[in-house]
Amino acid sequence: MREPAPTETPAPARDPLTTAMRASHVLAGVLVVGALAFAAFGAAVGDTFYLRLATEALIFAGLALAVDILLGYTGLLSLGQALYFGLGAYVSALTLMAVPSFWAAFGAALLAGTVVGLVGGVIANRVRGVYFALITFGMAQVVGKVVYNTRALGASDGLIGVPVVDIGFGPWSFSSASPAGLFLFVLGYVMVLYAVAAYILDTPLGRLLIAMRANEGRVAFLGYRPVTARLIAYVIAAVVASLSGALYPMLRGFVSPELLFFTTSGNAVITVITGGAGTLVGALYGSLLLTVIKSYVGSWTEHHLIVIGLLFMAVVIFLPRGLIGLVRPKIERMLSRERKP
Amino acid sequence: MTAHRNGAPVLEVKNLSIRFGGLRAVDDVSFTVERQRITTVIGPNGAGKSTLFNLVSGALRPRDGQVLLEGVDLTGAPPHRLQRAGLARSFQITNLFPDLSVFETLRLASQILEPPLRAWQPVRRSTIAIARAGALLERFDLAAKAGHKVAALSHGEQRRLEIAVALAGEPKILLLDEPTQGMSHGDTEETAALIRDLAADVTVMLIEHDIGLVMSLSDHVVVMHQGRVLAEGPPAAVRADPAVQTAYFGHA
Repeated sequence: MREPAPTETPAPARDPLTTAMRASHVLAGVLVVGALAFAAFGAAVGDTFYLRLATEALIFAGLALAVDILLGYTGLLSLGQALYFGLGAYVSALTLMAVPSFWAAFGAALLAGTVVGLVGGVIANRVRGVYFALITFGMAQVVGKVVYNTRALGASDGLIGVPVVDIGFGPWSFSSASPAGLFLFVLGYVMVLYAVAAYILDTPLGRLLIAMRANEGRVAFLGYRPVTARLIAYVIAAVVASLSGALYPMLRGFVSPELLFFTTSGNAVITVITGGAGTLVGALYGSLLLTVIKSYVGSWTEHHLIVIGLLFMAVVIFLPRGLIGLVRPKIERMLSRERKP
Repeated sequence: MTAHRNGAPVLEVKNLSIRFGGLRAVDDVSFTVERQRITTVIGPNGAGKSTLFNLVSGALRPRDGQVLLEGVDLTGAPPHRLQRAGLARSFQITNLFPDLSVFETLRLASQILEPPLRAWQPVRRSTIAIARAGALLERFDLAAKAGHKVAALSHGEQRRLEIAVALAGEPKILLLDEPTQGMSHGDTEETAALIRDLAADVTVMLIEHDIGLVMSLSDHVVVMHQGRVLAEGPPAAVRADPAVQTAYFGHA
């Protein structure tokens, strides 16, 4: 029983985690095609309301992506991800009011998300499980209340009058006031966040996070410091949430302390679990679905939260893999059949 | 006995102690593990064998004493540092990742062999870890199960995978905590052959209950009793020791 030479590498074909991620990409592709058709239709009929609503859904989908990186992949329940979403929104709003440049706001939100994510991560990752959830909740509430009571940040009114900006890429540029333009831009932006998250989760680092979800203790005996790996996941999720939040003032022209509150964090968790935790794409579909429900049901009753609550309970009880769990396994089987020799 | 370049034994445990409340779980334990020998720790239940393993592998911090790996003091170092320094362990109760495939488990366990920057490239570029995982699949007779989830393996297969995972990072010393725990007689024989085969490349230290296996497999036996080392030496000598006979084999 000698060890065979490394040339005998068995083809790592049909790696289940890669296949699962590819299945998510298929669904993400479907979403992009659907969104493009929606944008074309919306622009053709001159719609504003639905395009802006869908844009908001995509922005909150970015926050849900951040929650999924932690909850679905690393096994960490953050009840305070709104901290970073609100951080990005406020930093972006302040930057835009000083310098009306998209890239300045983007850079500022990226920097703020990284720095505050590191600080928050060091604090929150001192503990695990329920205590982690409570600390993330507490940190977001504290920061939310501080912002709520800080006059320089507009206190309870938030910051209003964020100027319309021209978002430019080399020779192309468009105004954030254009509903179809902003929708397409936010679609591309959130898909880039999705792609970056998917890329990271398919690296050895990402696989380490996936292993930690199942058995963090053993990871230490594979030569990795679990606290460091958790911190990296936390900072990545903070940056994703912050970059999503940065878009919010471009859409709405204002930011308010509610963006930092538990409602925002809790909605993101519900979005991920309803859509399907540990799929990334479930966060995107979940956010669109919940926004549709909120808007449609909300048009005839103000108690739309009851509907969302019932849906959430039904998913938790009957669909432990979320709504995406209804379709993604089928796509995975198709993909793995294709790859068989 | 093959001495290392710096002359230090692979593992040296000096006066190691820990208490749990009033219980001296491991009490002033000292012994040496020489390169490429199979050293077995035996002792009745509660003798402190698993606690000793936990102290050596960084799962617990000792209250007193030292753990030296190739002469380097690693007392109280956390598990990931010990692993990087070349000390790996398996667990008595299978302690793996139930949802991962067998191949992915081994690739993951092998990825510390990759240069650090590969951690930021897609896993399919981890050629060293992939090759290592493939070799381990063959060596541990798990190739047919490569795509299966760990949770779907039989007990014997999980026990083998447990050893393979510990071996994946190419350690200098491999600590196996009751590798044949719960195995059928046939599986035990196969595992013994496998361990003997491993010992050609890596120093092995194990905890084992099956006395027949201990006697046939070990080069060196350390007998623990009530947290202390009662006797140590070649298997035959240990077996003949009257103190060991009284304490462990239950007859004088």
